[in-house]
Amino acid sequence: MVQPLNDMCVIEISDSIAGSACTKTFSDYGARVIKVEPFSGNKIRRMPPFKEDIPDINGGAYHLSFDTGKESVIIDYSSNSGLEILDRLYQLSDLVIFDTEVEKTKKLRNIINGNNYPSTVSITPHGMSGPFKDRLENDMSILAWTTRMYRNSMENMSPLRNAPGSTLVQIGHTAAAVAVGIYWGQKQDKIRRDAEVAGVEAVLGNVDTGFVSWIFTGNLPERIGGQLKTRYPTGIYPCKDGHVILSANEEPWFSRLCNAIGHPEILQDSRFIEDRENNWQAFMEYLGPYLEKHDKNYIFTHLQEHGVMVAPVLNASDLLDDPQAKARKSFVKIDSAIGEHYLAGAPFHLNKINDESFKLKSAPKLGAHTNMLLNELGYTKEEIIALFRAKITG
Amino acid sequence: MSNKSLEGLKILEMTEAWAGPVCASLMGDMGADVIKIESFPRHSLTRPTSPRYATMPGEGPVYERDALHHQGNRNKRNMAIDIRKESGKEIFKKLLLDADVFIEGYAAGKIEKLGFGWQDVQKINPNITMISIAGWGLEGPYKNMVTLGAGLDATTGHLSLRGYPQGDFVDTHPNFHSDATGSSTIFFAALTALLQRKKEKKGTFIDLSQWEGLVWQFPAILAEWTMNKRIPERLGNNDPHIVPHGVYRTIEEDKWIVVAAEDDNQWQGLCEVIGKIEWTDLMHQYSNIVGRIKGRTEIDAAIESFTKQYDGFTAAEILQNNHVIASPVVTPPDVLLSNQLHERDWHQTVNHKWTGPIMVGGHLWNVEPDTLSWDIPTALVGQHNEEILTELGFDHDYISALYANGTIGNHYEN
Amino acid sequence: MTQPLNGLKIIEIGGTVSVSAAGKKFSDFGANVIKIEPPSVSDVRKIAPFPDDIFHIDKGAVHLAFDTSKRSIVIDHLTNSGKEIIQRLGKDADLIIMDIPVTEAQDLINIFKDGDNLLTNVVTITPHGMTGPYKDRVENDLTLFGWSTRSHRHSIAGREPLRYGPYAGVVQIGSTAAAVGMAAVWSKRNEGMNRLVDVSGVEALMGNVDSGFFLWAVNGALQPRSAGQSSGLYPSGAYKCKDGYMLFSAGRDPVYSRLCNAIGRPDLATDKRFTDPEEKPKNFEIFKKILEDWLATRTKYEAFDELQEQGVMCCPVLDASELENDPQSVYRKSYITRNQDGIGDITIAGPPFRMNGLYSDAWESKPAPNLSEHTTEILQEHGYGTQEIIALFRAGVTT
Repeated sequence: MVQPLNDMCVIEISDSIAGSACTKTFSDYGARVIKVEPFSGNKIRRMPPFKEDIPDINGGAYHLSFDTGKESVIIDYSSNSGLEILDRLYQLSDLVIFDTEVEKTKKLRNIINGNNYPSTVSITPHGMSGPFKDRLENDMSILAWTTRMYRNSMENMSPLRNAPGSTLVQIGHTAAAVAVGIYWGQKQDKIRRDAEVAGVEAVLGNVDTGFVSWIFTGNLPERIGGQLKTRYPTGIYPCKDGHVILSANEEPWFSRLCNAIGHPEILQDSRFIEDRENNWQAFMEYLGPYLEKHDKNYIFTHLQEHGVMVAPVLNASDLLDDPQAKARKSFVKIDSAIGEHYLAGAPFHLNKINDESFKLKSAPKLGAHTNMLLNELGYTKEEIIALFRAKITG
Repeated sequence: MSNKSLEGLKILEMTEAWAGPVCASLMGDMGADVIKIESFPRHSLTRPTSPRYATMPGEGPVYERDALHHQGNRNKRNMAIDIRKESGKEIFKKLLLDADVFIEGYAAGKIEKLGFGWQDVQKINPNITMISIAGWGLEGPYKNMVTLGAGLDATTGHLSLRGYPQGDFVDTHPNFHSDATGSSTIFFAALTALLQRKKEKKGTFIDLSQWEGLVWQFPAILAEWTMNKRIPERLGNNDPHIVPHGVYRTIEEDKWIVVAAEDDNQWQGLCEVIGKIEWTDLMHQYSNIVGRIKGRTEIDAAIESFTKQYDGFTAAEILQNNHVIASPVVTPPDVLLSNQLHERDWHQTVNHKWTGPIMVGGHLWNVEPDTLSWDIPTALVGQHNEEILTELGFDHDYISALYANGTIGNHYEN
Repeated sequence: MTQPLNGLKIIEIGGTVSVSAAGKKFSDFGANVIKIEPPSVSDVRKIAPFPDDIFHIDKGAVHLAFDTSKRSIVIDHLTNSGKEIIQRLGKDADLIIMDIPVTEAQDLINIFKDGDNLLTNVVTITPHGMTGPYKDRVENDLTLFGWSTRSHRHSIAGREPLRYGPYAGVVQIGSTAAAVGMAAVWSKRNEGMNRLVDVSGVEALMGNVDSGFFLWAVNGALQPRSAGQSSGLYPSGAYKCKDGYMLFSAGRDPVYSRLCNAIGRPDLATDKRFTDPEEKPKNFEIFKKILEDWLATRTKYEAFDELQEQGVMCCPVLDASELENDPQSVYRKSYITRNQDGIGDITIAGPPFRMNGLYSDAWESKPAPNLSEHTTEILQEHGYGTQEIIALFRAGVTT
């Protein structure tokens, strides 16, 4: 089977995880993705962990995971000679993804004009305009702007971020969606579009924030940690060998749960019918012993048989052995700069699980494709070496 | 809709909660004709029939006033159909005939039972793209399991990494990151399949496991285990390699600010602002990254004694003006205080029958030259039944009969 | 056998051709040479030729030759965190040699000062020295050569001045820095004092021989710009033979007489046309014809053998393809062939001098390091912890 995006070429000019996460999705489905990197490499290459904790510009976990199947070229685009190369590269491509400072993006985008050029997506923390456009932000400070850190915390304790990097990945992921949208659009109507993804807006405008609820009700999110004791059981509960997460506070799940743990009488108990809000402790006298007695995987399968939304809390060591992941071959073995290791496979598959054509190729070494690409762009041997000596390419 | 990128595409969305609905809205934002097929007579998960914490007070049916529902349902038309009924199936088959994408979010097996599994759908329309978005996918030992985004967060290892370093899991807020990112995954999947259709001239089925859509986003969790046989520790807001990198108190009670200095330049800027210029002297331990890692406690204290003199917006402004990473930890009302969002005209004022004019968050992205707009506020249950059925060629009398026999509806029983 | 410079720790900073040439002098004989390279990529790695003409940061010819037996670490010396590393690496070094712009060099010198006290030997290489109105000028191999009067000398009157082989000038400056650096190491051993040495490229070239300056200063006359064959005090320069050229330095006696005998014309040794200083320049063409007729029947190696037999100073002019097979080079193993990772066999010049016999193992050469190959190893050696090393890498201070 031919991969769906195999006739597409995407240029990635990215200073953060977001740009690489964005183009990763294109590369997963066969697009040719060219990473334009500075001599020091994209910052994603510097993100730990590293094998045996030894830093390696070609061996960082984020790079190995998000740059699969891409090509790497080193171009110093702060120079006119570099811009000239970029111009040729743009014309070879179908889409350009920028993830760098606003002024730099403007400069790099300026040479794109006319419908013969590709559409572009520019990722920035606060957008390309406005008083904050030049602010420096990182994964955590962007999340702080979205109300999610505030929501993620307990009263009078510090707000919390999500996993390191996850905000930038979400922003990149959002950019991938609009990118494929405008790529489709350009195919249909031949109109070149410039899309802009402001990190704060992309996350704040999405779900899992407290903002819209506040607009509707004027109530601030309850900052109570993992267990909601007024509308229960929802949240994280300890069990025999770890923790499970439950979402069974509403019907029909609450009834299913009570039946599943062998206490249908709860459903008739006036304490839980009329005054559920104030009887969490009483409820736990029923649920607590059940959880204490069983391990997380038993609870997971047993309650799910009754249609209760429950899941075990897993850590890194559990993932590869997870039966579902194994059955679906969610993780794939890959041979890369650090030898053989596992990566999460493509996020979805067309028509068939793990179609053979969706093979992951390893991430490129820094600058591995510069020479080949310059050849392809029509530069002579002498010109190629001249550009290298002048530190325009590497 | 002003944006034309997806103009001409017809999308059928039969999903609940957030990931599927938000995806369909994003397609609507870009000009697709999105029809939400809502469950009837059972109400959707995000349309409670009695008030709960996210319900806007006021007049009108409760299920039209829930924030969780409004958050993922702009820019679509709405039909409420009982597709368990033969008459309902007939309508849906007609909708499928010229649709480009059909997204369904039932638990595994359910849509087959309703007669709209891929085997049936591709017979009706061989060119269609169908996407199923069950939490763990349609195949494998977990295919019958049910979950919300929070359960996926727990089973991908993300939950084990979040939270206060000294805390317990029970202190960690369940989150719905899976929904926040799942919508883009489904969006991307749909367009990928459509691009495939251009080549192969036939439709595509996608069994999208939302778990798989989330797990690739945390490469560090897996790599710590597979590369180094370590289970990553809960870090809170710290970073083992960057000092300072944290959340600090401000002058306001229980309000906070993020401050980070990732390199020596940002550190220079920070020290100038907090009055510790001696900490940048080459001979001082804290002038370099390695020295700062050893001095986390003292450095954090010095930053907090600065941030505690200001509110978060002011302190962030001062720090940012000196090239330091800083942002107020924003509460929902604080969102309206951001000059940036106002200057960029991000907020959208939306007028809805039962919420009235409200100011809500805007789009995830902006596109030139054909900008996005919020043309259809969250539709009422069955709001476009007549309009769409007429387009499909049903006449007025037949439509009335459908209402009468409960095939379609425009309100839920409380 | 231990090598003579075992135990010396030399730090080289800047990645230029000069500083690489300087460091090579030490690494060749067993010193521990740490090559600190800038994140913007060392100049020495950018120089062609490359195998198959495909550029590669680890495969440039000059790098492969000059960086043998060194270890490579990439440090951004402009950041405070980078300076801290350099300080730790350098404080027990015997010598630090740097070739970076003057203001940057001044900053790095300061980290090795405790008050007025210098903590280690430092040699700076700059185009015009650390002081004076030209100190911040940007120069290269060609412009430095221009300043040294040698370009002027290396030309024919009325035509453009010429440089020598590319990089000949900057390599010489590096060798000069190595010599003075070695002296500083020696004297520190003896008297315990550290020295700050300022090598200016222009001064190093101009103050040495083969420039026209000294002669002019003595007699006020500009040297004739005759390049090639001298028509005054001949034969001097290159003369065509059967298969190439021979280079002569045989204009004066006794070498001139020996030449006349060797080509079977002892009469010319006393012929006034060629011995009288007034007459000799007028008869250049006549002599040239005689010599070239003799050379025309001989290959350059035949001529070389016959003439050297008689003590005539002359040499065949060799090209790259002939160097490896030169009998003397073959006999002394002047070139060595070695396997370089990722390239295969490469040939580089062997020991610049021998100790204790022809095949002494005083000289040893390990392959030139890949960029940043030893960053982690060197940081570990200097006491950096695992997470600290990652932190420095993440911030781009190291690579």
